[in-house]
This record gives sequence, structure tokens and C-alpha cells, in this order.
Amino acid sequence: MIWSIAWKNVWRNKKRSLVVIIAVTLGIIAGVLLIGIMEGWVKQRLKDAVYNEVSHIQIHNNEYIKNEEIGLTVRNLKNITQSIDSLKELSGWVKRTKLIAMANTPWANTGVILYGVDPEKERKITEICNRIVKNGGQYLNAQRPGDILISDKTAETLKLKQFIITGSTIETLKEENVPVAILTKLEGLKDRRFRSPKDFREALKKEFSKKELDRFGLLITDKALDYRIRNKIQIAISDKEGTPIQGIFRVCGIYKTTNTGFDQISVFVNADELAKLYGGDEILTHEIAILLNDIDDAGIVKEKLSSVSGDNSVRTWKELAPDAAMMNDFIIMYYFIFIGIIMLALAFGIINTMLMAILERTRELGMLMAIGMNRRRIFKMIMLETIFLTVVGAVAGIFSGWAITETLRNTGIHFTGWGEGFEAIGFAAKVYPVVTLEFFVFTVIMVITTAIISSIWPARKALKLNPVEALRTE
Amino acid sequence: MKVLELKNVNKIYNSTEIMVHAVNDVSLYFEEAEFAAIVGPSGSGKTTLLNLIGGLDMPTSGEIIINSTNLSKLKSSQLIDFRLRNIGFVFQSYNLIPVLTAKENVEFIMTLQKWPLKERDERTIELLKAVGLGNRINSKPAKLSGGQQQRVAVARALASKPKFILADEPTANLDSKAAMTLLEIMEKLNHEEKITFIFSTHDSRVVKMAHRIITLEDGKVISDENRNSHANKN
Repeated sequence: MIWSIAWKNVWRNKKRSLVVIIAVTLGIIAGVLLIGIMEGWVKQRLKDAVYNEVSHIQIHNNEYIKNEEIGLTVRNLKNITQSIDSLKELSGWVKRTKLIAMANTPWANTGVILYGVDPEKERKITEICNRIVKNGGQYLNAQRPGDILISDKTAETLKLKQFIITGSTIETLKEENVPVAILTKLEGLKDRRFRSPKDFREALKKEFSKKELDRFGLLITDKALDYRIRNKIQIAISDKEGTPIQGIFRVCGIYKTTNTGFDQISVFVNADELAKLYGGDEILTHEIAILLNDIDDAGIVKEKLSSVSGDNSVRTWKELAPDAAMMNDFIIMYYFIFIGIIMLALAFGIINTMLMAILERTRELGMLMAIGMNRRRIFKMIMLETIFLTVVGAVAGIFSGWAITETLRNTGIHFTGWGEGFEAIGFAAKVYPVVTLEFFVFTVIMVITTAIISSIWPARKALKLNPVEALRTE
Repeated sequence: MKVLELKNVNKIYNSTEIMVHAVNDVSLYFEEAEFAAIVGPSGSGKTTLLNLIGGLDMPTSGEIIINSTNLSKLKSSQLIDFRLRNIGFVFQSYNLIPVLTAKENVEFIMTLQKWPLKERDERTIELLKAVGLGNRINSKPAKLSGGQQQRVAVARALASKPKFILADEPTANLDSKAAMTLLEIMEKLNHEEKITFIFSTHDSRVVKMAHRIITLEDGKVISDENRNSHANKN
């Protein structure tokens, strides 16, 4: 019956209890969503770091790490590759040539890391092949000599990314139901070539109002975007003697990952084409990238390979992408901080509400003590009231938070305004929140613990009541 | 047979400025099935005496013995359990639990005593019928009149089959008709269940129906009048 009384007492002052319940619900939703977004970012960053950038393990010549010279290739390649092939944890691996280079177009130049890869094998190890942008050509093909794959960012730097309003652009926008007034204004920009997004944005700002830009700016920019596919890029590298050598490649495709930092320096060509440029008898291997079936095996595999690596360095993804590793390791700490703050606020709300409830029911509590309800039962009743009050809000919060997160997990949240900033530090502008079962269990435990701890003060206050004095209370 | 005995009981309240001798050397005993009223002007010590008898407060000196148990010798937790099993309380302001129905309010005390469900149900309905509320068992206190609430309180006090019932000004908040109905019910239960009723009261109607009248003044018993065979001595 004490359970029943405690439950009924929760609803004695409906308005006050609902305020607390709603506060708990909103707090939990905020917590779930916030953690979901963070977890989504961390998982996404980790996935992108592993599948676009560093794989699970990389092997380099020890000296190459300090000084990225063309001659510092992986030592004992045959032994190492045999050891890699014998790994039971192995999903796949690739050899890469990796050179510091200068990329030039008639309009700009930039320093890049030039990867010589086997496109077919690379497809199995990285997901760059799936990151080709819309109207951005295609991935490298071993059958097409002289191709180079560059990123959207490199294209922008080398002025190979342009914005141009043509007659066909206007027709396409018309099909997208863009109002005639907007299309008329676009006529003023027709056939003008803008080689940077900033210049194009400035030009649009002059023609359109803020409201028009908010509504149609992204669509116009998207349709006006044009990559100069098949344009030539001159690549300059140094041979083993330090003599500069140049080669011409044609842009076959444009890729874009979520890490602008990686994108702006990474360009890819066929390894055999690159070998022709530096004039070696064989393809040089500066980097071996290994993908495992399970990311958790990286440490064990590193140990295995280190024993046969000799003068080579074997590094796991944690060493190669320390930012992703740190985020992954510290996510639990973030959980505690965020949930801790929410629980602290929750505890104050609960304590305040329960103290009020006890103050209002002083005489009733005195009566209960007088007729023979012992302290243990009174303590239990107050605790149960507090727990019920909190758990109702927590259940509502967890279900709502789960429903919202599940919806957003499919649609994603696009931080349009901050996209460039996020991508500059390696995080996707579009995040897909992820909340694990462990997090829900953890939250439920935290909420119940908070409720129990918060109930101690009000319950002790109730126990300290003197029945005679309590019965005199008006 | 004595159910309750007070031996030289004193209660002194020490505040910072004045010392109040609320109960002054009271010695009394009550026998089974008495229907006694404690009367006296405001501040005469009626409620304090009832609180001492009920074990809600402890005497400064003297002994209170209920069925051979000296209340002063009991620990706080034992005292609560003793109250639960031996004493029924009826308060001036009814003090029902507002979230429970009349039935649940009566049943509550039996739940604390861990009565089996069936017996609990039967006794609750029997008691509510006895106080004339057989048709209001599922009503919450807010839906009952003051008189009806006080009758539920009487049923609750009787629920655990106590040795005696202490009622602090039970009719003070009731109109004449409700007060008379309540007193008649209490007298009937006193007669049928052989339970001792001790009231503190100002109400002349209660005084009129009481079999024994104990008058207090300044914490002292100044008279103890017996009106029937339940003889008693000061």
C-alpha cells in the first residue's frame, strides 16, 4: 500500500509534479540528443579517419616519418607483406607511393601529397572512390593513363572549381520551380566565370535580397558549380638525387571527404604512372595501409608486425589520427560531464519539490507517525515518491529522446552555417546522431541514482518531524 | 481490569523565558470499556495529557503503564509499534489521507499491521458500515462532509482493534447533528466492542454522554466524576 500511496502522492499537486516531470523529460531529451550528436560525430570522424585517411595500421620506413624523401621506402618489403598476408585479422592491404609534390595550373599552384596507388586495390581499402562529388567526374582507373584524382578543396585552390550561370543553368533552375523574378536577376550574372565560392557569393549578394538568398542561394550555387574535369595539372616532384622533375596529369575526378585538412593536400594517381615520372625500375612503396576486420585488433596486429618490421615503423590508427582516437577515448568522459550537469540540475529540482511537498504535508506525516507508521516506512514512502516523480520524467525523456534520435539518425542534422568550420577540423557538417543501448542503460541508472540521492534529504527531514508538533501545524 | 494507569505524571515545558507545568502530578487509571471525557478550560493540559497517554510525548517524570507496559521504558521504534497495536487516535481535524478512499484510509492501519487481505477487507467494510458509511467506501475525503470524515477517522482508529481510543476534541469541527451522530456511533462501538474511549473536549454534548468526567485545571486533576458502574478513583 505504501507504493500505492507514494504513487498517488506524486499526483496530489498535479501542476507542480508535471513541472518537475517536464523538466526531467526535457533534460533527458537534451542529454540524449547532445550525446547522440557527439557520439554521431565521433563515430563518423572515426569511420572517416579509418576508411578515408589512415586505415587501421600503416607501415613506413622509420626515416621516412622524419624526412619524407623519395628514397626512404619500406624495408624488407617481401617479409613484411608475407607477414601481413598471414594475419587472420586481415581484411585487406595496399602499398602506396607517397611523395611531396607541387601541383600547378595556369592559374594557381599548391603543395600536395601525391599518392601513387593501385586503384582497384585501393577501392577495397578506402572509401575515397565513393566520395566523388556530383558532376565531379570519376575515380582513378588503371586502364586510363595520366589521370589524377583531386579533392574539391584542391580544385578550388587550383582554380579548377568554378561557378558559371549558363542558359542551361537557368533552364535547370526553371525546372526546379525557381520564380521568374529570380531567374531574371540571374540573367545579370550569365556567362560570368567565378573561380572561388566567395566571389560567387559576393556576386549573388549584389543581385539578390537576403531573403531570396536564404531561399534560393544554395540551389543556385549548386547548379552553377562546374569542375574543370580533364583539365591538365602539372605535378613537380624531386627524384632520388633531388633533381626536380615534372609530369602532366589530367583531372579525372573530384572527391570530397569530411576532412578539409586531408582533402586539401591529398591527390591520387596510378602508381605505375607515377613510377614512369620518377623513372624507377619498380614502383616505390613508402606506405603500407592495412585494414582489419575489427578495429579493436589494431593493437595486437601492431605487436605482431612490429616483431618483423625491422627498421620500419608500425603505427595504429590511434597514432595516425590522434584527434579521432582522443575523441573516441574521451566520449565516456563527455557522457559523465553532460549527464552530470543534467543530473545536478535535476537533483536541485527534485529536492526543492519534495521539500515543498513535505512542508505542505507536515500534519499528515505527524498523523502517520502518531497512528503507528514507523520511520522506515515513512522514509520508504518519501523515497518512492521521489523515484516515481523522477522515473516518470526519465521514461518520457528517454523514449522521446530515442524517438527524436532515431528520426535524426535517418535524416541527419545539417549544420549548414558551420559546415566549412566543422570540415576544417575533420568533422562532417551533416551529423547522424547515434545513441547506444549502453548509453540508455547508463542514463537510466544515473537518473535512478540521482532520484535516490535527492530523496535522502527530504526523507530525513520528514523523519525529524516530531508528531506532536507536526499535528499542531495548520 | 485496568487498561491504563498514570502514576504521578508530570510534564514540564522549559522554554527560554518561562517554565510551563502542563501536567502536574496526575495519577489516574482507566478500566476496560470506559467512555471518559477529559474537560477543562483552554491551556488546562487536556491535549498534553492525551499526548502523554498516547505515547506521542514523554512525561518529565512519573509512569504511564498500558497493559503492564511502561511507555517510558520503550525505545522510539518500539513506541511507534506499540501505538500501532494498542492505541487508536481520532483527531480534531480528521487527518485522513486525502489521496486514499474511505476504505483505503481504514485499511491502511491494518496494512501496517500486515493483516491478510481478506480479513482486512471484511473488517474495513464492517467498520464503515458500523459508522454508517457503507455506501461511501470508495469516496475520497474531499467528497465527504466533516462529520463523515470524522466517522471514517473513528473507523480507522478502531481498525487495528486497539485497547483504547484517544480522541482530541473530536466534535470541535462538527455541527450539532453530525456531532450527535458521531457520539452515538462511538458510544455504540464502546458498548459493542468493549473499547475504552478517552476524549478531550470542550463540547457539552460530549460531556453529557460521557460515563466519566475528569476535570483538569492548570495541569491538575481537580475532579473525577463517575456516572455509572465503571467506578474509578483519583
